[in-house]
Amino acid sequence: MKPLALIGTVLAVAAVTAALLLSGSSYAVQVAITALIFVILTASLNLVTGTAGLMTLGHAAFYGVGAYAAALLSTKLGLSFWVTLPLAGLVTAFFGFLVALPTMRLTSIYFAVATLAIGEMIVVAITNWTGFTRGPMGIRGIPSITVFGHEGLTVNLLVVLAATLVSVWAIWRLTHSYYGNGLRALREDDQCAEAMGLNAVRLKIEVFTIACFFAGIAGALFAHTSGYISPESFRFGESILLLTMAVVGGLGSVPGSAIGAIILIVLPELLRGAGNVRMVAVGVVLFLCILFLPKGLFGEVSALAFARNQLRRAGLGWSR
Amino acid sequence: MFDVHFLQQIVNGLSLGLVYALVAIGFTLIFGVLNVVNFAHGEVYTIGAFAGLLLITSVAPPLFAVLLVVAAVGALTGFGLERLAFKPFRRFRDEASIKSRAMREATLLSSLALSIVAREVLDLAFGGEMQVIPQSYLLQTPIMIGGVALTDGNLVILGASILMLAGLQWMLYRTRTGLAIRAVSNNVLGAQFVGINTERAIVATFLVGSMLGAVAGIMVGLYDGSIFPHMGFGPAVKAFVAMVMGGLSSIPGAVISALILGVAESVATDFVSAGWKDLIAYGFLIVTLVFFPRGIFGYSRERV
Amino acid sequence: MVAMSALLEIEAVTRRFGGLTAVDAVSAEIAQGALVGLIGPNGAGKTTLFNLISGVTPVTSGTIRLAGETITGLEPYQIARRGIGRTFQNLRIFPNMTVFDNVSVGPLGHTRNFWWEPLGLGGARAAAEREQITKSARDALARVGLSAEANELAANLSYGKRKYLEIARALAGRPRLLILDEPAAGLNERETSELARFIRELNGEGLTVLLVEHDMSLVMEICQRVMVLASGRKIADGTPAEVQRDAAVLAAYLGTEDEAHA
Repeated sequence: MKPLALIGTVLAVAAVTAALLLSGSSYAVQVAITALIFVILTASLNLVTGTAGLMTLGHAAFYGVGAYAAALLSTKLGLSFWVTLPLAGLVTAFFGFLVALPTMRLTSIYFAVATLAIGEMIVVAITNWTGFTRGPMGIRGIPSITVFGHEGLTVNLLVVLAATLVSVWAIWRLTHSYYGNGLRALREDDQCAEAMGLNAVRLKIEVFTIACFFAGIAGALFAHTSGYISPESFRFGESILLLTMAVVGGLGSVPGSAIGAIILIVLPELLRGAGNVRMVAVGVVLFLCILFLPKGLFGEVSALAFARNQLRRAGLGWSR
Repeated sequence: MFDVHFLQQIVNGLSLGLVYALVAIGFTLIFGVLNVVNFAHGEVYTIGAFAGLLLITSVAPPLFAVLLVVAAVGALTGFGLERLAFKPFRRFRDEASIKSRAMREATLLSSLALSIVAREVLDLAFGGEMQVIPQSYLLQTPIMIGGVALTDGNLVILGASILMLAGLQWMLYRTRTGLAIRAVSNNVLGAQFVGINTERAIVATFLVGSMLGAVAGIMVGLYDGSIFPHMGFGPAVKAFVAMVMGGLSSIPGAVISALILGVAESVATDFVSAGWKDLIAYGFLIVTLVFFPRGIFGYSRERV
Repeated sequence: MVAMSALLEIEAVTRRFGGLTAVDAVSAEIAQGALVGLIGPNGAGKTTLFNLISGVTPVTSGTIRLAGETITGLEPYQIARRGIGRTFQNLRIFPNMTVFDNVSVGPLGHTRNFWWEPLGLGGARAAAEREQITKSARDALARVGLSAEANELAANLSYGKRKYLEIARALAGRPRLLILDEPAAGLNERETSELARFIRELNGEGLTVLLVEHDMSLVMEICQRVMVLASGRKIADGTPAEVQRDAAVLAAYLGTEDEAHA
């Protein structure tokens, strides 16, 4: 019984992907792409909020920075997706680093509110700097992803899937390591962690920067798969949606992030017939979750125990 | 240097600031008592505006009656909010757990969740765009005072806000309920020892804070002529900024900061386009948090 | 290192809070391998002195040296890395982490802990450091007898076991000086004497220990040397027998509370 659950997950992902492609439903593929992008976003937010305990209410704005970086680099400089993808990640990471420098000494709710304010500042800047970003009109005609001359929905889905798997793998490894233990120690009691020799400020800046990198990657994927972006997709409401996904899935849990993101993207699509109840559903689900399921669907403790078993079998030295 | 235009901007800024102050007081009172941020406070403001609008379109009572009913609706909303989003998490009675970090984060999320539900339900029921307000209720009749062009809305906001602030001071310092609120906000355990009903004080805080917020909502709605489901977000953020600048649990600090913020935004419209105006409040917030963690007036505050 | 050289040197350290002088020109030395007690009535400045040593509070004046190196002005994490391990007065473990993970934070603080290491980019050095963390944490757990509970959530341990978990976390960082802040608080008599034996064992293995205690009995029982603080000043320094006879000490304790006889 090698990593049975892991093999199961891989098979399930492959089966769903194949079914989506065979079904020929471009709508279903589009939903799947959105869900995957939100998996990256939620997993990165969860690294900061769930694992390191820094509640951020502005993550969508960094997603926006990545999307605009990719869109501007490709439409203004004509760079291809394969160049804009890493650049968008790096630009966003740099933004995150600049934001983190002054705010990392803030704790708890003050940090949350500072990220809210910074997120809104970014959106205000994107909306009003019309000469650069075209403001509320958004940016159209962002070139789509091409692989050896092929493009289209299938290519989009496969590339986004690959990027999601790599991102989630990286976040999974960061979470499930001694480095991750350091992050959790910060969340539990940062003064005490300092007394153990951890440089709390450095770790917080690092983890925030890393999360922003992945938000930037998600933004670039969004820009190139949708072809059009506008500031509306990166507002406070989206940050809350991301936070809800993390809470519903389980704070600090990587599989939880994926589950939360997929449920909260797919569920409203299924409810589409009942009118535009998507955000109401988000609010209700968040409320019920906090009240009755505070650890989420796949809570941290079980996620860690699961990871520990997988990694021990693979001999990766983060276990007893 | 007497500049009529400048003076006018100051007056507009003061009305704006008073509105922020009314909303900020709700935040400040609740923060003082429970050490939590009530993220649904902006929706109380919105609900106040919609309640007033419904009343106007259905019954069309005089303005002061509208304000009174809206105050009552606000109080009711505050009560419901406390019961749904805050009470269920208060499982222990001691200060450490009432003001604990876990409590803060759980109630932050629960109030956030309720705010989403309230806003989106309003959106579904009324549509996302601005509501039509009967002309006779719009507080936009121009009034000239010494060359300064005001509207009756300025005067209503000024009058009602000052009246409510005075009423609040009276309530906090001259009534038993006010004493209980101040006691709980100072020391929960001590308040319990001397026989104060902390639950009742907490509920009273929500009632009073939400009442002020709801009245602010309808006044701004009629003054600006814009009532819509997302109207609460902006003022709530600014009120929050005012609370932080004022030192978190200081009502005078929050009021003065709100006035500074209002005037700054109003004067700034001469220099930057309206879209960039929001940066001012966020900028104030970041600067305060990073450089003046005790608030700009130096009131003591715990760095939680 | 020579057996009797000073590991920790405190030189005329003062700390003022506004008008209050919490620690007033205190000087002391702790020799390598010693087991020293620091006692004093409530409000004597013990906790402040402790915070000055661990860097939580900056000194107003004076110098503190660890093995000859000045540590005043350093951040708490830098001081921890130079070899001061500590426990907290009111038990500060990481409740939502497993026992093993709690303890692993001790040695983790002494590694470089780069973010790219978990991604497999740290090379042989990172792998060796990981091994080292695992080994230190395992050894420390075995040392306090918590190996069987390694995968339990720390929050689920009993109070007494949490005390040992906290000590294990400090030990896993292989400190040169271990400072225990009121370790006996909340323990019954039997547990206290067990703890006393354990501390003496650690000291017997060569670990330098500073024991900050409110209650005199534990200190008098196990320490070779006792320092007494009162109102921010060091009023006595000597063997337990000497200190117990000291008139100033008796006055300080009798003047405030009667726990001196406990």
